[in-house]
Amino acid sequence: MSAIQLTANGLALGASYALVALGFVLIVNATGAVNFAQGDLAVAGGFLTVALAGVVNLPGVVLLPIAMVAMAGFGVAFAYLAYFPLRHQPPATVFISTIAFGIVLENGANGLFGAAPRLGPPLLPGGPVELSGLILPRQSLAIVAVTCVLIAGLQFVLMHTQFGRRLRATAQDAEMARAVGIPVGAMIAWTFALAIGLAGAAGMLLSNQFFIAPGDGTNLMLKAYIAVTIGGWGRIWGAVAGALIVAFFETILAVLLSQSAAEMFLYLAVLVVLGLRPRGLLGETIGRRA
Amino acid sequence: MPTAWRKNAARAAAGLNPLYAAGTVFLVVYALVFADSYDQRILAIAGIYALLVIGYQLVFGHAGAISLAQAAFFGLGAYVTALLATRLGLPFLVTFPASLAAAAALAALVALPVLRLESHYFALATLAIGQAALAAAVNWESLTGGGGGLGGVPPVSLFGFAITRGVWLLALIWGLVAVGGAVAWLLIRGPRGLAIRAAREAPMAAGAVGIDAGRMRFTLFVLGAAYGGGAGALHAHLLGVVSPEVLRLPVMVSCLAMTIIGGRTRVAGAIIGALLLVHLPEWFRFAERFGPLVYGLALLATIIAAPDGLTGAAARLRQFLWPGAPPPPPEIPPRAGSLSHAPASTELKVSDLSKRFGGVAAVRDVSFTLRGGEILGLIGPNGSGKTTILNLITGIERPDGGRIVLNGEDIAGWNPHRIARRGIGRAFQTPMLVESMTALDNVALANQTALNARAYYPGRRLADARAEAASFLDRLEIGSSAMHRRVAELPHGARRRVEIARALAAHPRILVLDEPAAGLDENEREALRSTLRDLAAQGMALIVIEHDFHFLSGLASRLICLDAGQVIAQGTADAVRRNRLVVAAFFGPTPGEDGAP
Amino acid sequence: MRPIQTTIAMIALAAAVALIHPGLIGPAMAQTGAIRIPVLVPLTGPLALEGTSQRNGAVMALTDAPVGVRIEYEVLDTGAAPETAVNALERVLARGGVSVIVAPIFGAQMLAMLPIAAERKVPLITISGTAQLTEMGNPYVFRFFPNDSVAKTAHALYVVEALGKKRPAVLFQTTAYGQSGRQHLAANFARLGATVVFEEGLDINLKDFLPALIKAKQANADALVLQLHAAPTALLLRQAASMGLGIPIVAGSAMHQPTTAALLQPAERKGVCAESASSPVSSIDPAVERWVAAYRREFGAEPDDFALTQYDAVRMAIDAAVQGARGPEEMRAALASGNFTGLAMTYKSDGMGNMAHDAIIMCYDDQGRPRIDRRYPRLG
Repeated sequence: MSAIQLTANGLALGASYALVALGFVLIVNATGAVNFAQGDLAVAGGFLTVALAGVVNLPGVVLLPIAMVAMAGFGVAFAYLAYFPLRHQPPATVFISTIAFGIVLENGANGLFGAAPRLGPPLLPGGPVELSGLILPRQSLAIVAVTCVLIAGLQFVLMHTQFGRRLRATAQDAEMARAVGIPVGAMIAWTFALAIGLAGAAGMLLSNQFFIAPGDGTNLMLKAYIAVTIGGWGRIWGAVAGALIVAFFETILAVLLSQSAAEMFLYLAVLVVLGLRPRGLLGETIGRRA
Repeated sequence: MPTAWRKNAARAAAGLNPLYAAGTVFLVVYALVFADSYDQRILAIAGIYALLVIGYQLVFGHAGAISLAQAAFFGLGAYVTALLATRLGLPFLVTFPASLAAAAALAALVALPVLRLESHYFALATLAIGQAALAAAVNWESLTGGGGGLGGVPPVSLFGFAITRGVWLLALIWGLVAVGGAVAWLLIRGPRGLAIRAAREAPMAAGAVGIDAGRMRFTLFVLGAAYGGGAGALHAHLLGVVSPEVLRLPVMVSCLAMTIIGGRTRVAGAIIGALLLVHLPEWFRFAERFGPLVYGLALLATIIAAPDGLTGAAARLRQFLWPGAPPPPPEIPPRAGSLSHAPASTELKVSDLSKRFGGVAAVRDVSFTLRGGEILGLIGPNGSGKTTILNLITGIERPDGGRIVLNGEDIAGWNPHRIARRGIGRAFQTPMLVESMTALDNVALANQTALNARAYYPGRRLADARAEAASFLDRLEIGSSAMHRRVAELPHGARRRVEIARALAAHPRILVLDEPAAGLDENEREALRSTLRDLAAQGMALIVIEHDFHFLSGLASRLICLDAGQVIAQGTADAVRRNRLVVAAFFGPTPGEDGAP
Repeated sequence: MRPIQTTIAMIALAAAVALIHPGLIGPAMAQTGAIRIPVLVPLTGPLALEGTSQRNGAVMALTDAPVGVRIEYEVLDTGAAPETAVNALERVLARGGVSVIVAPIFGAQMLAMLPIAAERKVPLITISGTAQLTEMGNPYVFRFFPNDSVAKTAHALYVVEALGKKRPAVLFQTTAYGQSGRQHLAANFARLGATVVFEEGLDINLKDFLPALIKAKQANADALVLQLHAAPTALLLRQAASMGLGIPIVAGSAMHQPTTAALLQPAERKGVCAESASSPVSSIDPAVERWVAAYRREFGAEPDDFALTQYDAVRMAIDAAVQGARGPEEMRAALASGNFTGLAMTYKSDGMGNMAHDAIIMCYDDQGRPRIDRRYPRLG
């Protein structure tokens, strides 16, 4: 029982980190800018579902797409406030504008919802699932399943649709994309929508399984940043692998050692990985602009 | 002597933005006359952050590395001070230098593995260091007091007087800011400033003229950390408590925000950024729990209104208030006698040079000898290994085998900047210039004598380096108006000549040129040929890669033709040109047919 | 200079003067005769939840002060770091006229504020539990909450004597609160002859508690003792319930907070106990019930013990003012020697500024409702 639960919990955590990390990667690829508010945006998504669940009585699986669309819209607004005015500035400038936006979000949540942690709606009603004698935690499984669907959907959109090809073209070389008539600005806005929609999904999934509090964003961001970098800057599967590694440290290694030792080892592992592979475990995407 | 000093002071004062002068006067009057004990405290804290940020500018602004470990150095300094002061009862005169040294030592220790990482990887590695430091402070309770931290750190005490608050505290902290600011300012002025900028913006170009970008990064990182440690020591004494909060992300975020809001490279930017961002949350206290939200909005508004920092905005405001003509260009001294002082005794002996990339042999057992006064032409089809040979000779790639002996010394495998200092200059296939600098400064930065001289004032040394640079540019027919333009604005041919002037300004014995004639018109080619001929006549040795036989014939004393990494022919231009293998390499094997193209 | 430029420069200068002098924005100077009680508590950052309770409790006491005393107060956020707290303290002190200051629950902030309070001779009233605060001989600190040595004595006593457990496992937060509590727990368990079979420090951002729970179970613990903040406590209880931990859990004071309980299903909090100074929502004292109702009306939230004890603390200060204490020195003397019966308990200084000496253990019954299980009066 414990081993299954541990794995399920770890996977659920890793899945939520992966969704935050994926949004992060999309924005990095499209704009070269690090969105430091990605964690706070996930938290905002969490609070949004808490608020939604308070006014309408719908199951989580129905709330999820609503929250994602709302957060995607918010993502476009975010892009116009924090990114577009600074798009011709060096990346570190955008870093600060997103940090400022993150501060606004965190304290906005604190001011509007209060400092207390909140419980979000479950994806599916009901208790653990029993499968041929094994008792499986339903919510954790639902989170992992939803995350897989979202990642597969993202992969499909990016690889097999005209829209995805345009997004990738923009990410690869904005100048070239503009030259062949792709509306680069709109593509970047869409990327923000997609990325922050994913963050919203992460926030909702976290809010039920692990609660949500205004200050949770920084830690989420930190974990996503580690995931993205050790996986290989700009790589989708690298981010997913990185998120699972981070979650592994927080669960399995915490059993074997202690929580504080596991944390210390995570940072050491980051240094060792970068020492051995200066461009992340999977390396960077080929053909990225210099 | 006094006149020289006065002249330098006058020059420095002329460069000073009057807005800063007014601001300084305003702040001093405010601090001494109007400020109450609370205002003075906020100013004191702003001073501490100003020191932290001046240090961070060295790393982030000047070395161009997004370090997220500056807060770790700040926290380390604070903890060292707290421990020394509470456990051992040591005074400020010990705790301050000890904190400085501890931070610098940690920086030197971690620099080895992390400094070679690039951008985001460097940022994450430094973030990991910061987080590990935080985890240590939280969990190592017996030493650090854990989450509660260490209390009871006494205030700064100097010569028996405790400085707890008020004007004396401000004098101490802002005195240290002034000293720290002056040190940083002197460090980044003059030729060294140019070198630092080149190392940040165009590391390959910097290496090619002998600038050791790695050492520069290291020095700036360690020095920046020392500022952080010193600021941490002051913070511990001022607050009386050191808790893990000094190591948490918000400190790092504030430091980064102050640097970007103030301005990345100017000391005034550090001070303005720190003053503003320390005061902002105090102004918004009326908003209670919404205070930080308003702070965030103000931060966002500021960065959008002044994305290049408030120093940038101040420069524009100055221009608006006192529109003036740009400063006159420095006068150019009379044309120097010759472009080169290379001794004709130079001898470069390359033997059995080899390099593989993956499974492909890019260069195989290449040997040749080059002497002063000779021009060696390297020809061969694309991918035949010409550029790789130049990269091996100039240290950009390390050879897998063979020797490169310059005047009896084997330089194979050395770093580019060391090789450049031994007298091998280089121009690249696509000119590598510091795009944001003027042509004049691109050339001046190669002046190693000016960079390394300690004897006199940095501003003077820069003027000397520029004067010499001007004479090189003049000889290469870059006019005095083009000289003062940013190289990014210059046409291709001029950029090539700027790069050659830069190589010459480092006084090389050997000059290595990769397709120097590509993209030049007929007149430019002729001028280039005659310049190269002059250089050789003055004793310099040259290696020139070129596709164009015509350019080389009559110029090169010898040609080497390469194919698939191997020498297939060498000798005079005519002999090589008639070689069957050469013809085959260029036009494909045509058995039975003989003759030149 | 052209006129427009002169004007711009003048406006900029005026703006700079106005902005840089923070005193120019905000409430005016204290009126003569009013009792000035600034409230300096964390409203943002990791202790915002507790700090907001502090604020609400203090503001309630300040707004329903008896007729005859004029009270003036302002609330300042002390944020997440000692520096912010000290800045707030300097700000209210620079304005002058302060009688007593409501000070933050955050121990490290208190540690930084104490020397200034002593230097400027202004008493601080707080509910911070960090034992160290009253062990330094500073006469200007008054703590209206059982300090860790009192609270953790009750905590350990309950586990060992009431539950009869001898092999507890202790999970604590790696914060000032958690680490200080764990020290006192360890000392008390040792004194009571119980063996702590497993203990581990947990980061405040931790989301997955199964590793720690599994190890506690493997160590064969017969009770789980928690010293964690609110969200981690709730998360741990939830994961303990889902894995079927099966041993009694006695949590720290975070579990008495209604906001923490609200995160859990009744089944998840069933049988869980928590140490606290009081539990306003489960009190059957009519005065407390009236207070709880007023609090709900005022703030639309469930009150916790932090709000109630901070309310008591401010009431005691106002009481002293009614009896003639005006300046900070008179206020200090009154707090140091007085005896005040508040809603949660009776407060009296032990000579070092510890005003609260009672602790309770409350437990959630089978329906998940809180009730007070045991009282431990006059422990310290």
